[in-house]
Amino acid sequence: MVTPLTFVGGDDALVAALRAGHPGAAAVFYDRHAAHVQRTLQSVLGVDADLPDLLQEVFIRAIDRIEELEEMDRVRSWLTTIAIFAARAHIRRRARRKWLFLFSPEQTRPRQQEPPSSEARIALRETYRLLDRLPVNDRLAFVMRIVHGLTLPDGAAACGTSLATFKRRLSRAEKQFLAAAREQPELQQWLEGGTRWTRQNQS
Amino acid sequence: MDSPKSELKNLGEAIRDALDASANPGEQLRTARSALLERVAARNAAGVRPGWLRRSGRPAVRFWVALGLGALGLVGAAAAFAIWVRLPISFQVGAAGTAGRLGDVVEAEGLPVALRFSEGSAVVLGAGGRARVLSAESAGARVLLENGAVDVAIVHRRPRTHWSFEAGPFHVLVTGTKFRLDWNPKDQSLGLSTREGSVLVSGGCLAEAHAVRAGETVRWSCQSSPPNPTSTANPPTAAASAAAPGTRVALLSKPAAPGDAWRELLASGHLVEGLRAAERADFGRVCRTAGESDLLALADAARLSGHTARAVQALVALRQRFPRSPDAATAAFSLGRMAFERRAAYPEAVRWFSAYLAELPQGPLMGDAVGRLMEARQRAGDRAGARADAARYLQRFPEGPYAPEARVMLSE
Repeated sequence: MVTPLTFVGGDDALVAALRAGHPGAAAVFYDRHAAHVQRTLQSVLGVDADLPDLLQEVFIRAIDRIEELEEMDRVRSWLTTIAIFAARAHIRRRARRKWLFLFSPEQTRPRQQEPPSSEARIALRETYRLLDRLPVNDRLAFVMRIVHGLTLPDGAAACGTSLATFKRRLSRAEKQFLAAAREQPELQQWLEGGTRWTRQNQS
Repeated sequence: MDSPKSELKNLGEAIRDALDASANPGEQLRTARSALLERVAARNAAGVRPGWLRRSGRPAVRFWVALGLGALGLVGAAAAFAIWVRLPISFQVGAAGTAGRLGDVVEAEGLPVALRFSEGSAVVLGAGGRARVLSAESAGARVLLENGAVDVAIVHRRPRTHWSFEAGPFHVLVTGTKFRLDWNPKDQSLGLSTREGSVLVSGGCLAEAHAVRAGETVRWSCQSSPPNPTSTANPPTAAASAAAPGTRVALLSKPAAPGDAWRELLASGHLVEGLRAAERADFGRVCRTAGESDLLALADAARLSGHTARAVQALVALRQRFPRSPDAATAAFSLGRMAFERRAAYPEAVRWFSAYLAELPQGPLMGDAVGRLMEARQRAGDRAGARADAARYLQRFPEGPYAPEARVMLSE
């Protein structure tokens, strides 16, 4: 019998198919959840040329650990946690790379794609430059809550920590980030005026 | 000055907007998808189950300590792995475990004789059989079956495995794991019974490679041409096949038809090779004769290897031949995605996504279909339709991946 490459079925059947190594299940699994994982990674890392590699890595890890998934209806939050761990490892790798290649400007240059608008580009670059200064766990709490918009309990679960610890990290990150951001002229409009959409609507 | 809460809320929204505008998520998603599926296909082809890439959790020691130890460990492991993957496998013969030598004749004179290979594979030569191991390399071995039958169990432990068997003019390439092979030199007949995975048989009087899959038993003889399989009630045994010259062809289940090797290649993750095999077998004929799941598999292979036109051909054939099946709806979704992503044909994408939703309104891709329909309508200039889709999406998936775009669309 030939196992078809394409899989059709609900989430429960999909997880069972992944566990059985169905060749088509990985594609469907990816198609259902990749956009969410991509957004999570992008929230943590900003515009990063390594994002497709990380995206792939998250799904490889997920498929590899599919036996550990106990609640089928929590696939998405489970993937969020894996994505956060992958992003954290990436941030740490980047920091090590920076240290290891301290004297190589080519290596220390951030591998970021260039966003189209210069105004947004500068503000976004500045934002993630400030985030780079935060301890990685504080950064993750900040990004999950402020950028990704998770609730406190969901943010704590995604970061694999207790609610109290998550709140402590978030509070620390908010204070440190805001203090630094208020000193940056490029971020004033973002802090005060909201988004391009609201600005367009207001004008 | 705004309150810190308000500032942070503004900032969060601005960052989200800027990120949305700055990256090309579609391109990133496609790039990662192709790479992921290639890795999964490679893993499946090697017969590895989930768990192969398991990594340790958090680092147990601090970076600075781990750096030194890790580097040493890595160098050692890499060296050991490099040596291991290049070392040819060895084998032992019989219950006594005598070291086997390449080219030596192994005969089973009354009892079966086992050849056990160092990477875990085993070849058991049936009583009265005669075989030689012609060559051994790191990825597998080449075995010549001169007479009788062998029961084979191949272990896929190394990154790539390459096992093959020669029997008279026939060549058997192992892509599966467990099978029984017998060869009778008197009537030049080859019998093959596959229990797990599949094998590809070529050479002799066969015009092209035949795939023999799990559960199938086939027999060919090159005494008359072309080889004509006929049915029998029981599978051939080693003794019967060796001792019954003139026994014609046994067929327990239908073997792969000539030109169907593409199906097997696709199922084992060899997408490009499978697509080429389908081209050789006449792609149009394949589209007219293949089953619906095979057509979806073929379309996937064509799409992933960049042959959009072939993917469209297979999917359209599927919809024409199996118009009311769930796979036909899935084909509509795939056609919509290709129209959107590959050709920027947004009105066409709208038609396909709408078709999916009409045919499978509660299907597994329903959320994606509504989200993509919303995007396709927006790009096609149907603002009102896109807004209706956005509302429909948010009602069902308020936290879904298209929810932010849907909210933006409704707020404009």
